[in-house]
Amino acid sequence: MSTNDTAVPILSARGLHHSFGQTEALRGIDLDVHTGEVLAVTGPSGSGKSTLLHCLAGVLVPDGGSVTYRPAELAPMGISSLGEPKRARLRLTDFGFVFQFGQLLPELTAVDNVSIPLLLSGTRRPEAQRRSTELLERLGLEGIGAKLPGELSGGQAQRVAVARALVTSPAVLFADEPTGSLDSLASENVLTLMLDLVREAGTTVVMITHDARTAAYADREVIVRDGAIGAGYRVSA
Amino acid sequence: MNPGLLKLAVVGSRSAYGRLTGIAGGVAAGVCLLLLLWGGANGLSARDDRGAWLRETGSPSVAASPTEDPTTAGPGAQVPLTADTVLMEANPAEVFRDQLISRRDVAALGSTTVKIPGIGHPPEPGRYYASPALQRLIESTPRDELGDRFGSFAGTIDEAALPGPDSLIVVTGAPEADLRQNGRAFLVSDFTTNAYGGSAAAYNTVLSIGAIAVFFPVLLLISIVTGLGAAQRRERFATLRLIGASPQVVWRIAAVETSVPSLIGAVLGVGLAILLRPAAAQIPVNGTRMFAADLTTGWAAAVVVVAVVFAASALVAAHRTARAGIGPLGVTRAIHEKTPTMWRSMPLFAGLAAMIAAVLMIRVLKVRHWLESPLLIVGFLLILVGIVIIGPWLTRLASRIGLRQARSASAVIAASRMQQTPVATFRSVSGLVIAVFVVSVFAGGSSIIESTEVPPARPGLLQPTSLHATVNAGHTPAQAEDATRKARELSGILSATVGFGPGALSGPDAGPEIYLRAADAPGLGFEDVPATETVAVDASFLYDWTTQPLALSPAPAANLDGMVPVVIVLGTDGTPEAMDRARTLLNNSGVTAHSATSTLDAGLQSSTRLIQGLAVLAYLGMFVAIAIAGLSLAVATASAVLDRKRVLGLMRLMGMPVFVLRRIITREAAVPLLTVLLLSVGLGFLVAWLMVTFIDDTYQMTWPEPGYFMALGLSLLLALGAVTATFGLIRGTSPMTATRFE
Repeated sequence: MSTNDTAVPILSARGLHHSFGQTEALRGIDLDVHTGEVLAVTGPSGSGKSTLLHCLAGVLVPDGGSVTYRPAELAPMGISSLGEPKRARLRLTDFGFVFQFGQLLPELTAVDNVSIPLLLSGTRRPEAQRRSTELLERLGLEGIGAKLPGELSGGQAQRVAVARALVTSPAVLFADEPTGSLDSLASENVLTLMLDLVREAGTTVVMITHDARTAAYADREVIVRDGAIGAGYRVSA
Repeated sequence: MNPGLLKLAVVGSRSAYGRLTGIAGGVAAGVCLLLLLWGGANGLSARDDRGAWLRETGSPSVAASPTEDPTTAGPGAQVPLTADTVLMEANPAEVFRDQLISRRDVAALGSTTVKIPGIGHPPEPGRYYASPALQRLIESTPRDELGDRFGSFAGTIDEAALPGPDSLIVVTGAPEADLRQNGRAFLVSDFTTNAYGGSAAAYNTVLSIGAIAVFFPVLLLISIVTGLGAAQRRERFATLRLIGASPQVVWRIAAVETSVPSLIGAVLGVGLAILLRPAAAQIPVNGTRMFAADLTTGWAAAVVVVAVVFAASALVAAHRTARAGIGPLGVTRAIHEKTPTMWRSMPLFAGLAAMIAAVLMIRVLKVRHWLESPLLIVGFLLILVGIVIIGPWLTRLASRIGLRQARSASAVIAASRMQQTPVATFRSVSGLVIAVFVVSVFAGGSSIIESTEVPPARPGLLQPTSLHATVNAGHTPAQAEDATRKARELSGILSATVGFGPGALSGPDAGPEIYLRAADAPGLGFEDVPATETVAVDASFLYDWTTQPLALSPAPAANLDGMVPVVIVLGTDGTPEAMDRARTLLNNSGVTAHSATSTLDAGLQSSTRLIQGLAVLAYLGMFVAIAIAGLSLAVATASAVLDRKRVLGLMRLMGMPVFVLRRIITREAAVPLLTVLLLSVGLGFLVAWLMVTFIDDTYQMTWPEPGYFMALGLSLLLALGAVTATFGLIRGTSPMTATRFE
């Protein structure tokens, strides 16, 4: 989708500040993430991309500023002012996460890894397993449900992680270098499958990457430099 | 190896200091306990050695009758007292309150050359030597309750002849004629130094098993703490491998980083043991504390322990690292533990077979062979090791069933982890499982002591609040009546009864019944008294083991003329003061053949020396095993949480509430614990029964005392406490950003 003035924001960050000791990671960032868009956050290493993602997702509470979820609705939710239990609930029900590597629980089979968020939401296990298996199949992972993460290839493991992130039909998917550990072919495969699924479901994606080819899949790109949104703001059609 | 690289690898991060401190602290606690226990074992042995002289039974003071036929044999000739002998009588039932006093009555010639341990020259008649603890008791108690039993104070018995500082021992001087009166005195020329007599082999076997049982959990603790933070270390080692370190360099670093804090911990443990020795000596074992010097192990032992802990920790760390398969790309075998199979049950069954074989040899085949004791000890050791080895297999079986039934996220995660890593999961609870086994063995073993119960107070049975003493042959009814008259004047004495018979109970003329004045019968607790002047009751009325009430019958003779006094029974109000006044009076009356006893004394006297030794180990073992196991579980659970920092962080990031993480950790401890706990309890009692049967097949095991169930409950509470203690760690060590940065 394209971004314009009428787009409805799903996440709105205002004046975000965050420091790690003496290091200032975010320096007053203002950012709106619009419903249904795929937003790429790019920038050099150490620029504050991941800190921004963690603040937007309620993983970190910023030192200053605010993050609001569904700001245009009647009852907007100030994520940064919520306590950890409520933020955990929000992450479980409304957000999904995909990371670069090592995100699957090593002792659980692929299908159980995908089922965990559903079980946490109260879905019965047989139903959770059925839905997880279906999603794995849609991601081209037929027959690997009973395998452990250690028995999967990098691309397969990453697709299982995508399945786990999407199994609860989240409103927002946060992806931190989702293909960073994959070769270009596997990377393209995972991205295509992931974006097909999220676009079909209307899920918003906030994706961190420093790879221009990955960023090219996004609807919009913001560049973070030294903890601030830098020049080079790109809006793709 | 480059010292700079070593320093960077070992203490390169702030968390490394925490891990190294944990290892050093855990090893210090383990070594301290090890040395105190070693000292304790030495102390028990030293204590028994010092008290060996009390076992001296000498030679008979009466020569055997020249005729073979006991029915026609007259009393044998007295063996004369000479300068190189003393006449001694061991009083088996000198009781004060609920404490047994070791009393020796001695008669000697003035020119005697026999030295009594801790005293030297025997006391004059009417004088006594007492252990310091007994003398303090005598001085702090009214004389008519205790002091009057012994005469006047001559001095204290030297510590060198006392088992412990609380030992109650008295050696009283007596006229030779008094001691020869009942024929039980013996002649002693020298005192034995053999603490256990004929039961030494069995006792040493039991002692060895007890020592293994107590030391095993300590070794397990040391093993667990030296594995602290193993996963973090594996990651670091993988990085070193990636930048070019050879496998040899890595396992050398692993050896150094574990052995150095282990060495520091071991040295600290030695210091701690020295500091805590006086406090540990205050713990009463088998009724008495120990002398602090008894707990000394000597420098050689301390050096050996430090050297062994240092060398073993280095070797084990190097071996574990070499086996972990750490390559440049990380750990290749960390997650994929070898699946435990049924073969893991073999050591356990081998151990059981060895113990059963030992018992069969000695009890069924009646074969006496040097092999029995080693079989029993090796069998016990195999069972201990076998429980640790079979635990992961059982954990995996339980987790497979659990995973099929799992409905919640925490159940699925916990069961999956247990199924994939049953060895690591079981390791956390292995200390507690072993502790429960050890406690069950001790509780089962010591239950044979507790099985001696005092019969309840019922009409027709000797009342527990009464004291009785048989009357020596040759005393007149008037002498016995004089004693009862004096008794009635004492406070707390409710009745005083003389029982009569045709002859003294210990003599050849003793009858099967005791005759009483009917008026005295209610004072003995009888309710249905025949309407005659005199009544009769079976002589078994006086025995501790009579549990069925006896009835009175009319005596064959209308009066007691021609009868002799055979027993004096004093009924008291049951207060300890009255009981001890009654004892003192009867023992000083000059007419009794034995010390006064009550049915309550049975519990003090029934235990054999061997079983008392077992009980000593039991209570010591229970305390040590449970304390260590709690510590081990806390350390192991904390270690497991630290090792899974990244996974826990990821789960929190996904929105998993902290309470679900806590449930996962709790399940991971609870399932293996409960799975193997029942096995431990059952095996513990089976092993106890085998040990008890090995010692003597007449012993009966019963339900353990309430203390056992308290110990079991305490173990579970400790487990809960240990797991709960790590809850804070879960929040602290699972930052959600760990998924990216760790």
